[in-house]
Amino acid sequence: MATANMKDVKRRIKSVESTKQITKAMQLVATSKMRRAKERAVAVQPFFETLFNSMCEISRDNDFTSVFTSKVEKKNTLMIVIAGDRGLAGGFNVNVLKKAAAKADDLKQKGRTVSIMAIGKKAVEYFSKRDYNVTDTFSEIAEGLSMYGAMDIAEDVASRFKKGEFDSVDLIYTTFVSAITQEPCEMAILPVENLTSWGGQRHASCVYDPSPEEVFEGMIPSYLCGLLYSAIVDSFASEQAARRAAMESASDNADEMIENLSLMYNRARQAQITQELTEISSASLNDS
Amino acid sequence: MTPYTIKIITPEKTFFQGETTQIIAKTTTGNVGILKGHIPYVANLVSSPFLIEVDGTLKEAAISGGIIKVSPDNVTVVTNAIEWADEIDVARAERSKKNAEERMKRNESQKEFDRAEKKLKRALNRLIVAGKR
Repeated sequence: MATANMKDVKRRIKSVESTKQITKAMQLVATSKMRRAKERAVAVQPFFETLFNSMCEISRDNDFTSVFTSKVEKKNTLMIVIAGDRGLAGGFNVNVLKKAAAKADDLKQKGRTVSIMAIGKKAVEYFSKRDYNVTDTFSEIAEGLSMYGAMDIAEDVASRFKKGEFDSVDLIYTTFVSAITQEPCEMAILPVENLTSWGGQRHASCVYDPSPEEVFEGMIPSYLCGLLYSAIVDSFASEQAARRAAMESASDNADEMIENLSLMYNRARQAQITQELTEISSASLNDS
Repeated sequence: MTPYTIKIITPEKTFFQGETTQIIAKTTTGNVGILKGHIPYVANLVSSPFLIEVDGTLKEAAISGGIIKVSPDNVTVVTNAIEWADEIDVARAERSKKNAEERMKRNESQKEFDRAEKKLKRALNRLIVAGKR
């Protein structure tokens, strides 16, 4: 066994060890980021529920039509696709982007025009490289997302919808099922549907100031904002969970590699010693 | 006056939950005061000072739009942002006011202008409530 080989093995052990340090650190960072994102996702729930309940009540109590609920035949669709800003998160980005692309192609086949709003650097890169009509891009907003950031996007979407630039809005993002499972999912957010499914009694006495329509339309940006905010936060939590899992298995693999390499190294060392001993003893035999 | 319960919800947390005897808020059609026993009422709020009477004193907060939902014995307010007068970061409000004014002057597009105008309104509202203007 050559000493050169031993050196090689030693160098490889070192390199794997330093890689492991990185993956381990990334795993820890992802774990704590995931926890914080989860807290934010939970905190936004009451806000959104109250808002949605109110919207349901308005549509239950009143017969009215709004551009935001009208069901015209859908022709132009805006797809809001949320993916991560960084890679190294296992299948996280690929899964959600594949689903989005499949959905876009499907809609195109049905003869609709599809424009895409890409949120997250990976989504922006993916869709601009391919043959899609990307109208808006937002990179690196997920981590420090504030309500105002989400509101800006929501108001923009609401006003463009009102102008008739598109007649339906779909949202595609990854939802956090558990620390080990994250699923890409889609959601039709505009026009607002399923409002009446809540049922319940009509309270005709409720006063809407100035009118049910206007109150309802005033809620739309907040409603979109709530949806977007929770989807982005949800997706961010999923990204971190996926990264944590990916980094955990990377660290495990590194451990295994180090073990194998150490074994190899020790064997090589042992072989070298044995060989040296044989050489010495045979040399002394020759001497005498 | 008889107290009733009020709950103010923001995306980050429940901002305030407790008893009040009267609140004064500004809706898209003007100021409204709500006492106990008000008929069911729903309206959109605009960026404005928001007053809550607690233990006989009016507490002031800066609210940046939202909705108010009134039923005879409780009130729910849903808003994107609300701050108590004494918790407002005046320096930050000044900064965003200046920033918004500059953006309005640049006058790039109607969309940008509207956005800046809204931002300016929010900043001014915060300054007014903080008593710096």
